[in-house]
Amino acid sequence: MIQARGLSKRYGEVLALADLDLDVPAGIVYGFLGPNGAGKTTAIRCLLGFVKPSAGSAAILGHDTWRDGVNARRDLGYLVPPDAFYPDMTGHAQLDYLARLSGKPPALRAAMLDALELGDDALGRRIGAYSKGMKQKLALVAAFQHDPALLILDEPTDGLDPLIQRAFEDILRELRDRGRTIFMSSHDLAEVERTCERVAVVRGGRLIAEETVAGLTRRNRRIARVVFAADPPPDLVLVPHVAVVEHVGRRVELAVERDVNPLLRFLAQHEVAELSLSPPSLEDVFLAFYGDGAAEDGADGGAAAVAANGRAGAGSRR
Amino acid sequence: MTAVALMTARLLRRAWAGLVALLVLVVLFELVNPLVAQSLGGPEGLEPFLRALPPAFRAIAQVAPDNIVRAGLAGYLALGFTHPLYLTLASVALIGFVARALAGEMERGTIQLALARPISRSRVYAARVCGMVLVALALAAAGPLGMIAGLGFTELRDVIVYDRFVPTATAGLLLFWAIGGLTLLGAAAADTTGRAIAFATGVLVISYFVDYFAELWDVLEPVAPFSLFAYYDPFLALTRGELPVQNVLTLLLVGLAGTLGGLVVFARRDLPS
Repeated sequence: MIQARGLSKRYGEVLALADLDLDVPAGIVYGFLGPNGAGKTTAIRCLLGFVKPSAGSAAILGHDTWRDGVNARRDLGYLVPPDAFYPDMTGHAQLDYLARLSGKPPALRAAMLDALELGDDALGRRIGAYSKGMKQKLALVAAFQHDPALLILDEPTDGLDPLIQRAFEDILRELRDRGRTIFMSSHDLAEVERTCERVAVVRGGRLIAEETVAGLTRRNRRIARVVFAADPPPDLVLVPHVAVVEHVGRRVELAVERDVNPLLRFLAQHEVAELSLSPPSLEDVFLAFYGDGAAEDGADGGAAAVAANGRAGAGSRR
Repeated sequence: MTAVALMTARLLRRAWAGLVALLVLVVLFELVNPLVAQSLGGPEGLEPFLRALPPAFRAIAQVAPDNIVRAGLAGYLALGFTHPLYLTLASVALIGFVARALAGEMERGTIQLALARPISRSRVYAARVCGMVLVALALAAAGPLGMIAGLGFTELRDVIVYDRFVPTATAGLLLFWAIGGLTLLGAAAADTTGRAIAFATGVLVISYFVDYFAELWDVLEPVAPFSLFAYYDPFLALTRGELPVQNVLTLLLVGLAGTLGGLVVFARRDLPS
């Protein structure tokens, strides 16, 4: 559905996006993660043809997003920034206007308005009088209403209350089940974890990881809490992939890198009173990628990130 | 309705209040001119008035003082189309509209509403050109219509040849087309409304003063052809019904060059973030 090859964007001295390779298959929810300034928005703007790549190319459904942008955007929905709307228009008029520009009937409008609880009363008012949350809802309806095959969403739940966020996630899953593709950036890692099948992580304009959410979290460390029936065996520290984080009496907290089986085999040989193993979250992974506070912007930061990726990818917490 | 027509209608709707206010001011300004002419005593009473005008004021008309005097009422009324207030009102309306429609929409991000859809940049730009042409047409018609309305309130209504308002309006349209084209070029390159307005206003003010001072000081005559206003002659249009081909072609080409230059810039540029 989306393909990028060596996609780069330079603004003067700043390399905002460096050599990005991306393949987003059809029919999934794909997360695009990174801290502020990592290059997410620049990549999205390249995909939409808002900026010309300095090098490389991007294509949607085989159409180059810069040279053949009209066809690339033929069946696309994009979440515009909420302040981009015409403040003098009513919500209804704005949606009608955008539906006419899209050239497709607003088949999903009613369902979206219902799910996001945006009523006729609100739609009859001028957008200039909308709150940030209402503008965000309107932007979501505008992006989804013509039922496009591909949705590109930059921070889709920004400004939405938790209940509406959950309703929105249901919509994403429903659309995915109907074969639609959703490419979204988000700072809400719990939301990404709940909705996305695959994620790409960018830092300093460079791609530093790309795989399934499950795969990404699996390779990060877990915390195991063990209460032994007697004093902890001294050879615990020799177990592969295990580091002792805390030791209080018979209770031990362990950091387990990647594979938990060596620890489980070791524990099977001893009397264990309690055992809990916390699954790693996407947030843990994200922090592992970015937790060292290295510079995030520009090519230099990106180079540092690539070097750091070798360590993070191996599952080390830094 | 095509996407271009839809976008043009949206741009005009958004700017509607401001445009109407400025058009009304243009109409009122030109409406007052015949009333003033009558209060000065009509064609006979105008001659001593016109002779009494200081050279700096007569330079505004871009016409030799004796010619204005000889032209009588039409010569006096033509001053209404070269008056700085008329040109300022029209320029504010035109430059403001074009700058907001292109640079302003890029600055606010509103242009993304169209560009995120299967609409090419050239069609998005074409909507701005259509809007500019419609505003220029309205401005070019407003002045002469206001003056005709003003004449209707006076006893001078039979002294003027009304057919000559057509070339007068055409001269205005050509000037506004050229200004609009240059503003489109500036707006296509600018990231903000302010920069687009500054560019267009700068070009216009320099152009005006080059023409004005060339009229006052012979030493500046060689640079006069570089001014847009050297090719804007409502005096000739209103007094003799003439529209020199050179003026028509020059203003047409300047407007066309600005418009096409703006298209090239807009089609290749990055949208501001």
